[in-house]
Amino acid sequence: MNRFSAREHVPSILVATLSAAFGISLLQVTGVLATAMTADDLTGSSATVAYLLSILAIVFIVIATYVSAIVTANTFSTIIAGRTRTIALLRLIGASARGQRAAVSREGLVVGLIGAALGAVVGTAATAGLAGIGIAAGFLPAHPYSYFEPVIILPIVTVVLTTWLASWVGSRRVLVVSPMQATGAAQELSNEEAAGKTGRNAAALVLFIIGAVLLALGIVVGLINPLGVLIGLFGGIFSFTGLVLGAQRVMPPALRLVGRAFGRSAPARLAAENALRYPERSSRTTIGLVIGVTLVTMFSVAIGSYQDMIHRAQQDRPELFQGVDQMLLVTVVVFSILTGFSALIAAIGMVNNLSLSVLQRTRELGLLRALGFTAGQVRRMILAESAQLTLAATLVGLVLGVVYGWAGAQSLLGGIQETPRLVVPTVPFVLIAVVVVAAGVLTVAASIVPSRRATRVAPVAALAVE
Amino acid sequence: MEITSSDLGLVARVAHLTKSYGAGSNTITALDDISIGIRKGQFTAIMGPSGSGKSTLMHIMAGLDTATTGRSWIGNTEITGLDDTELTMIRRRRVGFVFQSFNLVPTLDIEGNILLPFELDGRRLSREERDWIDQLIDSLGLRDRLRHRPHELSGGQQQRVAIARALGTRPELVFADEPTGNLDSRTGREVLSLLAAASSSYGQSIAMVTHDPIAASYADRILFLADGRVVEDLGRSTAEEISRYMLGMERIA
Repeated sequence: MNRFSAREHVPSILVATLSAAFGISLLQVTGVLATAMTADDLTGSSATVAYLLSILAIVFIVIATYVSAIVTANTFSTIIAGRTRTIALLRLIGASARGQRAAVSREGLVVGLIGAALGAVVGTAATAGLAGIGIAAGFLPAHPYSYFEPVIILPIVTVVLTTWLASWVGSRRVLVVSPMQATGAAQELSNEEAAGKTGRNAAALVLFIIGAVLLALGIVVGLINPLGVLIGLFGGIFSFTGLVLGAQRVMPPALRLVGRAFGRSAPARLAAENALRYPERSSRTTIGLVIGVTLVTMFSVAIGSYQDMIHRAQQDRPELFQGVDQMLLVTVVVFSILTGFSALIAAIGMVNNLSLSVLQRTRELGLLRALGFTAGQVRRMILAESAQLTLAATLVGLVLGVVYGWAGAQSLLGGIQETPRLVVPTVPFVLIAVVVVAAGVLTVAASIVPSRRATRVAPVAALAVE
Repeated sequence: MEITSSDLGLVARVAHLTKSYGAGSNTITALDDISIGIRKGQFTAIMGPSGSGKSTLMHIMAGLDTATTGRSWIGNTEITGLDDTELTMIRRRRVGFVFQSFNLVPTLDIEGNILLPFELDGRRLSREERDWIDQLIDSLGLRDRLRHRPHELSGGQQQRVAIARALGTRPELVFADEPTGNLDSRTGREVLSLLAAASSSYGQSIAMVTHDPIAASYADRILFLADGRVVEDLGRSTAEEISRYMLGMERIA
């Protein structure tokens, strides 16, 4: 019924591909490094390093999968929002809500399959490329490395399943589309307000608390054993899922705070109102960016702390930590790929959501123009709205990133030396500056197309739209 | 034993239907204790000025909206209080819709749109149903448009596709909501003639909501609504008679 539209699903396929490629490549690289180290084991420490390396690989893969699941779920709910009218029409003619939702998750399954297949190719090619560079540059001994270990099936299966699951979660909205919406007589989703919001908030709170407890437990365990980071990882996932679920409660205060900073001019005031008017839409728009910024900050803080720690340990016992700079380099490269793509996805999501919200408001913008807003004022309003969303997401992401990054470094490294100790979080101020600048660029990029479109529409035409 | 709709020769009816919005002193009553029946095989127009409650009445009769109090039947099935799945089945198999804004699925071609209700049911067409659809396609002049997309068609052609879709399952009742509202007057008259013909030749029951006296003049029976109540029940009338009656209503109000 809803024919599979490739264009609509390009962002999701991209996410699934990157996530699968990342998982596959990371496992292959880990395998390659382990082989290289065993073949070239002078210090006898390769077992320990390989152990740490595989824990890190698992952590990165789980996080990548988690992020892509959230981004995909969000993308799907945006697609559903755009399809509301068609879904309402099909419901009117007699399609069942469950059938419609099943159709959407079938699309998710197809997206997952395509993404995983593409990812397997891209990931393997990336590994082969990296290994080639490594051998050419003399980092790696020339050795016939095997890229097709059975273990790479895992990320492929995981990506297919999580994309499918994410599309199912993201299609929850289908259930609240009423056939009345096709007749143009329905009110603004008032039923959705009533539909189980308290249950959702309670679930968010419970998840957040469980996550926070696990995170604390991970830190404590981490004082004795680096496996604490795995407990902490689940703590992070639970607490962050809680935050994402409860985003409609978390984001509005941040938006309000930022909105106040934009002054009291009419465009600024309207922009602040718009960002707060539909908490669900604003949260959906911003949460992708929050995840992106959180990840970038988290890994910078974690790696900064990690590097400090390793360097200090290196001074104490140089022989034990010989090959570690190389590993750090690989980790940094790998982490840059991960955060690079999540930032890219966040940007795509932000642009998509803003254009959508402007499209839905053609009539309102036409009214403003008819009332005497200049095209410039309307553009400034949209820019201010976009800036407000970006800034609020960046602030929340920075705070969360420092907390999670520190927790990660602490639970992984707290017990690495003989005496357990607290890791001092290394906050990379350069990175914060980069994130803020990037957010600024994103704001402008995300508002150019929608505001151009909004001001190109003649006021009369905009008002005539049904 | 309760009297059934079919005993009365009705295809749909509502009894003591009330619909109000808001609470306390802000209460707005859209429907005020309405009881009507739509006769089987007739083309019925429901008329009234804006805010008279005619669209609300249609939405409740079709099971799209729920009443505050009162009961409502499609055929002999009481639809008051049915759950979403049961209402879905009624919409799929027993009623059809034609709207002002055509409401075709943009990603499907014309044939796909016409066959959509069958596809939703997940079944193949029987020989007899296929013949009926073919007959509809030919009589509505859509034969050479089957592979086109809705946006490639004119408004009148799109509305004919919507009519074919609504009649395809031979529903007990077709609801039409201002079906000529987006059409120029000549195309609008064509569409109305098609609806009237469906009623007179195939015995299709149709309930049409409109505020246009010309549209209502194609109907066998005209129900007038004002302020949520039925104020008049006329047989077939000319557009002049209907206009005169409506102007009279304005003067009293």
